[in-house]
Amino acid sequence: MRAALPRSIVARTSLSILVLAVVMGLLFSITASWRVRAVEHDRLMARVDELASTVESTASIACFLNDGTLAKEIATGLLKNRIVAGVQITSGEKLLFGTGQVIEAGARENSKIDKLTRPVFSPFQKSTPVGAITIYVSHTEIEAQAAAYSRYIIWILVLQVSIVAAAVALLVYLLVTRPIKGISDELHRLEVASGMQIALRGRRRTDEIGQLVGDVNSLISRLTDVLEKEHDLRVAQEISERRMRLVFEKADTGILVLDERGAVQSSNPAFARILGPRASEPGVLLADLLSPHGARIDKLIAESRASGQPRDADFDLIPSSGRGVTWVELSVNPLGNNLLQGLLTDITERKRVEASARELASRDMVTGLLNRRGLDAALANVLAAQGLKHPLAVLQIDLDRFKAVNDTFGHESGDRVLREVATVLERAVRRSDVVGRVGGDEFVVVLPGIDSLEKATDIAMAIIAGVSVPIAIGAGRRAEIGASIGIAFAEWPGESAASLLRRADAAMYEAKQSGRGRVCLARHPDAAA
Amino acid sequence: MKHVLLILALALLAVGGARAADAPSLVVIVNPASGVEKLTRDEVIDIFLGRYRKLPSGRVAMPIDVTEEGADRARFYQLLVKKSPAEMSSYWARLVFSGTSSPPFQVPDSKTALDLVQSNPNAIAYVDRAAVTSKVKVVLEITP
Repeated sequence: MRAALPRSIVARTSLSILVLAVVMGLLFSITASWRVRAVEHDRLMARVDELASTVESTASIACFLNDGTLAKEIATGLLKNRIVAGVQITSGEKLLFGTGQVIEAGARENSKIDKLTRPVFSPFQKSTPVGAITIYVSHTEIEAQAAAYSRYIIWILVLQVSIVAAAVALLVYLLVTRPIKGISDELHRLEVASGMQIALRGRRRTDEIGQLVGDVNSLISRLTDVLEKEHDLRVAQEISERRMRLVFEKADTGILVLDERGAVQSSNPAFARILGPRASEPGVLLADLLSPHGARIDKLIAESRASGQPRDADFDLIPSSGRGVTWVELSVNPLGNNLLQGLLTDITERKRVEASARELASRDMVTGLLNRRGLDAALANVLAAQGLKHPLAVLQIDLDRFKAVNDTFGHESGDRVLREVATVLERAVRRSDVVGRVGGDEFVVVLPGIDSLEKATDIAMAIIAGVSVPIAIGAGRRAEIGASIGIAFAEWPGESAASLLRRADAAMYEAKQSGRGRVCLARHPDAAA
Repeated sequence: MKHVLLILALALLAVGGARAADAPSLVVIVNPASGVEKLTRDEVIDIFLGRYRKLPSGRVAMPIDVTEEGADRARFYQLLVKKSPAEMSSYWARLVFSGTSSPPFQVPDSKTALDLVQSNPNAIAYVDRAAVTSKVKVVLEITP
């Protein structure tokens, strides 16, 4: 229906007016025909009345004289009028002439028959009634006349409506459509944000079209302002974005976004630099990248997500491409929408500094061997790492006659002797074995994997032999020392480092008691007490 | 105002009365044997203008017109129905071809009319009052 309507305002307005006019015209015509019939009826009745007046004098003579011939003459004359359907002339009670009887009979069935009855007076005495004349009016004639008149009115209406519709169409075109089309054309030519405006060009500023032009112009200028602001904003945003991108691209810290599964959604180049080329594969799981620590990473992510707080942890990476152990610090931060931001920092250098600081604390300054603390830690590590099935031997070594060297030649010489002893010890054991100086002249060697007394004793004897070689302490002098050694085997399950060391120490004491320069085996812990 | 009108009316009546006295008055006469004693003005009109041609006694009436120049005919119709001779001619002319009615019988002078009435019991005529004889009967005096 809507599509059937014409698109042009002119056509639509004209059509509307035409439809309205036709409807109004029809209503008016119906009212008019009804009115016209009443008016026409009155008009024809008036004419009949005039006719009656015309024949009155003759009729009065006819009635006066009871003259049927004259009456017939009158009736014949009247009947020549199409409007007259019948005539009846009576003189007193007597019917002089009548075509009306038939009509009277019909009138009883159809009350629509109109008639005009007039008394007839004597031509000589105006007060004396001598008869009556009745004229019957032709209904069909009334109808015909009314219809003709109605048709005429309708014709006039049709003509008027057509002219008005045409005039309205023209006016709408001239006053509304053409100006609007003009504005539309100008809008099409208008270049946005060029500051161009629509010219008023002979249009009145005060009418609706003028207002429209004004409104469009103010809209254009507002739009131009908005566009300029938008442009400025976009430029500022671009600069800011570029800066952020630069930070993102050039940062040393790996920046990444994790989805709910812990997969890397996006990351910067630094991320791949730290974790290797696999890191830039799309959708790779962070837990896979930091492979041995998958469980810890999942835990970290879960914690951060649960608390909504940033969480961080350090991870050591499997050395790849000969870079040595690389340490990273991972910090995860909930971004919302189930996403997490991750910051991955290469902390290898820091770890290295930390480690060397820690090493410094666990090393004996004189010999470079582990000190008491370092040895304890190393032994604990070995005990923890070796597991139940691996045997372990601990040698407690005490230098003989070292106090005399110290007292005789001074501390510096003592230190040289100690350093020499350290060299002997390190030479006597495997690289993976642990050697520490735990007191002034006391040393401990931890031998993982040594299970036979023979092997342990061999090593102990080699140490005693090495130490017993006179040591040059400068200025042609030599220090001659020896060593007493206690051996303890870790007794499984669950012997502590302290117990092991205590037993080795006790064995060493025994060796010292029994004459120095010898090796003693520690007793089983159950027998120690 | 009322008095003025009254005086004017009285004056007119006086003049009229004087004129009526001056003019010779007309009478309608019939034969004494006609059996008619009196006629009303309407009856006279009906008879002379052709409506009824019968006397109240049942006898056929024969109205008589006098055609003589300057005679009483014009005055009679003027007094009776206020019609001029021309109007009367027109009246009768209209009726000629219908044939239903005819104008009164025409005689040349009053003398002949009088004679006819004296000799014919059906005749009815109008004459000057002064011409009335004992052989006719006055049935109506025509007054203006």
